[in-house]
Amino acid sequence: MSRLQAEHLYKVFGRRPEDAVHRLEAGADRDELRAEGTTAAVIDASFTVEPGQIFVVMGLSGSGKSTLLRMLNGLLEPTAGRVLFDGDDITHLNPRKLREVRSKKISMVFQHFALFPHRSVLENAAYGLEVQGVAKEERLRRATEALELCGLKGWEKSWPDELSGGMQQRVGLARALATDADLLLMDESFSALDPLIRRDMQDQLLELQKTLKKTIVFITHDLNEAMRLGDQIAVMRDGRIVQTGTGEDILVRPANDYVRRFVEDVDRTRVLTAGSIMEKVAADTEFSDDEGSSCSAETPVAELFAALAEGTTEISVTDDDGDLIGVVGHEQLFSALADEARIDETADETHTDKAGAEAAPTAGVQAAVPAPRETVKAVKSDA
Amino acid sequence: MPRLEFGSWVEDAVGWLQTHLAWLFDFVNSVLEGMYEGVDTVLSAGEPLLIAGIFAVIACWLRGLLPGFLAFVGFALIDSLGLWDDAMATLSLVIVAAVITVVLAVPLGIWAAKSKRISGAIRPVLDVMQTMPAFVYLIPGVMFFGVGVTPGVIATIVFAMPPGVRMTELGIRQVDGELVEAAEAFGTSPKHTLTRVQLPLALPTIMAGINQVIMLALSMVVIGGMAGAGGLGEKVYAAITQLQVGLAAESGVAVVILAMYLDRMTGALNQRVSPLGRRAAAKAAAAAGRLKFVHYKPGTAIATVGVVVLALVAGGMNIAVSKDDSGPQTAAADIGKGKKINLGYIPWDEGIASTYLWKELLEQRGYETDIKQLDPGPLYSGVARGDIDFQTDAWLPTTHKDYWDKNAANLEDLGSWYGPTSLELTVPSYMKGIDSLEDLKGQGKKFKGKIIGIEASAGMMKTLNEKVLKDYGLEGEYKVVSSSTSSMLAELQRSIQKKEPVVVTLWSPHWAYGKYDLKKLQDPKKAWGEGEQIHTVAHKGFSKKDPTVAKWLKDFKLDEKQLTGLENAIKDAGENNEQQAVKTWLKKNPGLVDKLAPVPGGGAKAQGRDAGMTVDMGYFPWDEAIASTYLWENILEDRGYKTTNKQLDPGPLYTSLAQGQMDVQFDAWLPTTHKDYVDQYKDKLTDIGSWYGPTSLELSVPSYMKGIDSLEDLKGQGKKFKGKIIGIEASAGMMKTLNEKVLKDYGLEGEYKVVSSSTSSMLAELQRSIQKKEPVVVTLWSPHWAYGKYDLKKLQDPKKAWGEGEQIHVMGKKDFAKDFPELNGWLKNFKMTEEELASLEVEIQKGGPDQQKESARRWLDAHPEMLDRFAPVK
Repeated sequence: MSRLQAEHLYKVFGRRPEDAVHRLEAGADRDELRAEGTTAAVIDASFTVEPGQIFVVMGLSGSGKSTLLRMLNGLLEPTAGRVLFDGDDITHLNPRKLREVRSKKISMVFQHFALFPHRSVLENAAYGLEVQGVAKEERLRRATEALELCGLKGWEKSWPDELSGGMQQRVGLARALATDADLLLMDESFSALDPLIRRDMQDQLLELQKTLKKTIVFITHDLNEAMRLGDQIAVMRDGRIVQTGTGEDILVRPANDYVRRFVEDVDRTRVLTAGSIMEKVAADTEFSDDEGSSCSAETPVAELFAALAEGTTEISVTDDDGDLIGVVGHEQLFSALADEARIDETADETHTDKAGAEAAPTAGVQAAVPAPRETVKAVKSDA
Repeated sequence: MPRLEFGSWVEDAVGWLQTHLAWLFDFVNSVLEGMYEGVDTVLSAGEPLLIAGIFAVIACWLRGLLPGFLAFVGFALIDSLGLWDDAMATLSLVIVAAVITVVLAVPLGIWAAKSKRISGAIRPVLDVMQTMPAFVYLIPGVMFFGVGVTPGVIATIVFAMPPGVRMTELGIRQVDGELVEAAEAFGTSPKHTLTRVQLPLALPTIMAGINQVIMLALSMVVIGGMAGAGGLGEKVYAAITQLQVGLAAESGVAVVILAMYLDRMTGALNQRVSPLGRRAAAKAAAAAGRLKFVHYKPGTAIATVGVVVLALVAGGMNIAVSKDDSGPQTAAADIGKGKKINLGYIPWDEGIASTYLWKELLEQRGYETDIKQLDPGPLYSGVARGDIDFQTDAWLPTTHKDYWDKNAANLEDLGSWYGPTSLELTVPSYMKGIDSLEDLKGQGKKFKGKIIGIEASAGMMKTLNEKVLKDYGLEGEYKVVSSSTSSMLAELQRSIQKKEPVVVTLWSPHWAYGKYDLKKLQDPKKAWGEGEQIHTVAHKGFSKKDPTVAKWLKDFKLDEKQLTGLENAIKDAGENNEQQAVKTWLKKNPGLVDKLAPVPGGGAKAQGRDAGMTVDMGYFPWDEAIASTYLWENILEDRGYKTTNKQLDPGPLYTSLAQGQMDVQFDAWLPTTHKDYVDQYKDKLTDIGSWYGPTSLELSVPSYMKGIDSLEDLKGQGKKFKGKIIGIEASAGMMKTLNEKVLKDYGLEGEYKVVSSSTSSMLAELQRSIQKKEPVVVTLWSPHWAYGKYDLKKLQDPKKAWGEGEQIHVMGKKDFAKDFPELNGWLKNFKMTEEELASLEVEIQKGGPDQQKESARRWLDAHPEMLDRFAPVK
């Protein structure tokens, strides 16, 4: 059973929101409504999150992703549609029940940390337990554990304003984890941090997730972050979810131009896998091990550069049984970086996309764009 | 534009509130006064320096050693200025007002922060509270709550509330929305969101608001001094109005010390109570580093111990001191027995002099006194309400006419003690050639066209503008500048110092004539009118409540020499020593105390010539019979007679009189009612004379029945009265007259039905209707105590349908004149008016059936002149 399910969620601000929903359902345009003073923040959003998954909602500011998130724990009441959490309809709980669900089952991590300045780090981490009514000794013990888990051992007595941004967000994370909630809502939680710290935090989250296996809904406007973290990614634009899928789906098979343009800047080498760019070989082809390099189909393309740069001409791609399923050479690699159309052909013949007819507007400079920078440099110098 | 009668609406509303919500005001009054008394008792209980020590320890705890030391020095300074008690009174006022304000303001602010609508609704109210001049509600406050603490506290609350509400609202609204959202996201209930997140984070702002509340409260209680709130405010106000710059400055310094202390302490309290404040303080302490001991702050526990120890010492000393205090008093002249008498005065010289004189006299006679300085308006309404028992400085009939007229219903004039006074324009004597009002004409330029007046509200200002200027043709040339008495005197002093021309409004007696060399401008046209008399005015009923003091006040007279002598003594002694000056002055005038406040009963009352004889009196149970019999029983006892009395029915009573067993009865209704009895024993009775009459039978309505003044007016109004006339026993003679003659003559048959019941039911119905203000018409007769108790109208009887009235005679036995020649003389002259009889009957009614004699005694005491009027002795 899926843990979290959103069904046709609408959120309209302004006058007579129900009318607006009916009109949207009938095909009315968002701009049309805005002219009348009503704002449709979320339009017909549906998705499903499986237990233990990180579900990333990605979109630019104003796309309605934060509003969507706040409907998931009832901070905002949907104008239409419903949210099912472990089979319970969150949208129709009475306020007391809803508060109970929030305090025990859903926690939230905020963009600007939202730490209580009048409480120490430990008291902050223990806040959710305090609301639950856990006895003091017990809640301080659990809060200490949560802080330790987030790498803040020894900082319990400090005050939030004495910590750096990254540490503050660790406190925010510890506060969310301390309650043992199954569902973690993270609202642009790492956006306010500087890039290096952001990377650390992402790594730490992934590390924690390996053991904790929480269900996480993560909001971000940063596609790289989405690709790094997301098991599933939903791309939002103007209140609508325009595409839902794995990072590779989004990258390789953008649902429309908007998504395509959105993913242009992404570091493909970290999203594309050897499996998706390899040249397939016949199943019974002999696989010579002497050149030394092989990888699995899931290996990110970025990890192939080093071997190829050292003079290896081809890298073998093997399946789980160690059988050769394809090879990646310079040719495949450069094509993957340069031309999406080709990837489409090689990776998924069934997928038809108008991208073929329509050249990407900045195709010429694509090779120079990928981030992170060090990879770019490596590619250039190699070339 | 049509004139909007906003002012008169307000006056109507005030009047309505006064009559209908009196219970509420009394309740509020007693609550606030109770709180104030409680706080003040604690604060002023201990030795000043020990209390100062407690304040210092608190300062130490909150701010450190140096501030603690400074606090002690400040409070010690207040004590050394002799203003300790006033400062503590002010502090108590501030504490009471601030606590109430905060208790109201913080929840209101929270509410406003939660709801935009409430916030919008509250804002204009707060604006009004903050900007409406305080006097506008201070003086009506006096009307509702009387002179004293309450109007001051209420005005303070009104004035100090807005910042409390605003800052609370602001503080809560300022709390980061994400934090509130975070709290909600973790399932915090709205109540806990408030207590765990919003309030702690808003606390610094709220505390800043509370600090403002306290500071505004302090500035306002000073203004409250005008309404008799006491404390430093009263001192400042008194000093300024009397142009005692020194005393004003001293009181001002005390106010400043209090203000600084309260400001710094509430500021520091913020650091103690709010977690954010605590953190900031800890950081600052860490940064300070050097000079640690200056920043040393005792912990809460140490501070508490310090406060408790000092409080215990103070309490202990207090007990010891009060033991010493309770020495024996000179019991001989202790007439007051600690009874409290409240005096009020306007800060005019003769007011101060006479008030302190009476304070001293009353205290010598064992009364407790309390005196308050007030403006005329609050003073008169204070007296009218009974908060102040009497005041001795009523200038009548002109100057205080408006105040008197407004409150006349609740005032009692105890007569004048000084007069005539005079009003005048006055110039310094260096103004050569200007000796009369006529000389002012054409000299306007010299005086810059200005006549320096006093308060615009004063009666003499009206006379000046409307009469004096007109009579002497000075209009246009001169403009009367109204300011205040103290400003006028300040201007006079300034001009004299610079030898500048000045003309001021002044009056005699006034100390300025003694201090400066002034010339009263003659008034050949008598434009100022006749001089006035200075009266003593008391609350209505004061002479009943305290006949002894009332008698003293009625007999109170001072001549000019005495008054100026007393005034000079007080001026010489200097500020704050008024009573000492009076004491000294009284010592220099031996015998004056006994003359002004003679101890009654000190000498036995004058005995009658026939003292020792026994008078046997009989009466039947009619109100006026009971009243007059017991009145005379008391009078005769005062004159040394012995008396007996017996209640009998008319028949047996006349019989026993005729037989000489009974000496006298007072209730013979002639010529009609008792005609039969008198005719029967004609030769065996002596008609000593009538003492009351004519009596009358009538229909009466409460006086609120407008437009019904005569029996003729009843016609067509049957519906209003539900067609009922409330009668008495069906057997009574007057019921027959009513049914057979009165209704017929006025054509009221059919429209009205006479309901016969009983006298007591009729009276009960009357009382019930009056309480509900319902229409009612009853059969009644005069004399009757109901006329004294209720406000009733006798319906006129132009057609004489009720017949002629009767006279009430005193009837004696045959040889009465021979046996009691002196009493016979007294009774021949015995006369009572309807009003007197009614008040006597009401007094007896109040006392109840077993207390008739005592009640009559009380009435006699309240009317001390009656004894000599009824039973004069040489």
